[in-house]
Amino acid sequence: MISFPWLFLVSLSAGFVGAMAGMGGGIILIPALTLMGMDIKHAIAISIVSVVATSSGSASAYVRDRITNLKVGMYLEMFTIIGSLAGAAITVVSSERPLFIIFGFVLMGIWGVMYTQRHMDWKPAKNPDRFTRWLEMEGAYYDKAQRQEVAYHGTRAWAGGPMMFGAGFIAGLLGVGAGAVKVLIQDMIMGLPPKVSTTTSNLIIGVTALAGTSVYLAAGLIDPGLAAPVILGVMLGALLGTKLLVRISNLMVRRFFMVVLLVLGAEMLVRGLLGAL
Amino acid sequence: MRKNATVLEHRMESLVGLILQVGVITSASLLMVGLAWHWWVTGSLTFHYQIKDLNLFQFVVTDLHLAFTGQFRPRLFLSLGIAALLLTPYIRVLVSVFFFAFVEKNLKYTLFTAFVFAVLTYTLFMQ
Repeated sequence: MISFPWLFLVSLSAGFVGAMAGMGGGIILIPALTLMGMDIKHAIAISIVSVVATSSGSASAYVRDRITNLKVGMYLEMFTIIGSLAGAAITVVSSERPLFIIFGFVLMGIWGVMYTQRHMDWKPAKNPDRFTRWLEMEGAYYDKAQRQEVAYHGTRAWAGGPMMFGAGFIAGLLGVGAGAVKVLIQDMIMGLPPKVSTTTSNLIIGVTALAGTSVYLAAGLIDPGLAAPVILGVMLGALLGTKLLVRISNLMVRRFFMVVLLVLGAEMLVRGLLGAL
Repeated sequence: MRKNATVLEHRMESLVGLILQVGVITSASLLMVGLAWHWWVTGSLTFHYQIKDLNLFQFVVTDLHLAFTGQFRPRLFLSLGIAALLLTPYIRVLVSVFFFAFVEKNLKYTLFTAFVFAVLTYTLFMQ
């Protein structure tokens, strides 16, 4: 049985590091919990509850800054919740080893994407297709750094939607927010400005995680006594991380986070492959 | 027309932001009360119990029933805290359905949000 102080401290650190890297805490929390002796299914189930908390907490601020695009969010949610349900249902019946291996691969995959994208710049969408126009995917937000209103529109919603099923699937399967995947789809496929895709992804994550949580709750995998310190720890950690983010250089945070991803990814993979759970 | 739509969107954004904020603060407060009470009674913050054979809907109803009949104890606060957290995005979607249906009168997005709401409702009752 993991004691309260440890559970709280690990969650605090996971939320802190996650927020500084612009992600939730799940991706660090789950490997850490399994290292402390929790079995991976319980770790996934507890993590996904905390994802609802961090998503709702930060989305409440972003939505009011008027950067989040609610319509883009509502459209993409239709796909992520179905993916999340499917992913969670598979985890519930799966054995432990494949979960370690998939988790390891996903961590490595995110590392790979972050690595190849170091020098890539976002380009605005050119001409929206008819379907995207029909979905009214356009908007404007006030950019504080540029001190001007930025108008934008999306494109390729027909591809972005179904791809979001995959993002939701990873979220439900592994108990993470999968924000990195969601942001990537909105940035690179749908051509939305990075600020819009980051904040909109945050809003979607809450509903996606809720769909997965219901599956884990019904399967009896959620222990409120363990979930409470994790939720509070991750929330506090994320709050501190966001405050500090403004002061530390983006590059340093990114480098640190990439090392963490690589180490945890390798660790999960080795444990899964060797069966040393 | 466009200006009018923007005003409506801003109202919607404020409302969604408020729902999320109230939900998260309520949840965190309930969890803290539950943990503090448990610590007061037992001297330890570590405790655990399983939710067995309940779906999300039954979980929420059981908690509310206990709360309204005054059967307060630390674990009820923890359960209520988790229930409040999980209902937050759910209520956000429900409010969005009403907004798109009656305020913005946008049929497309009413159907989209209604679909999300229907799926989430289904998961609430899932065994």
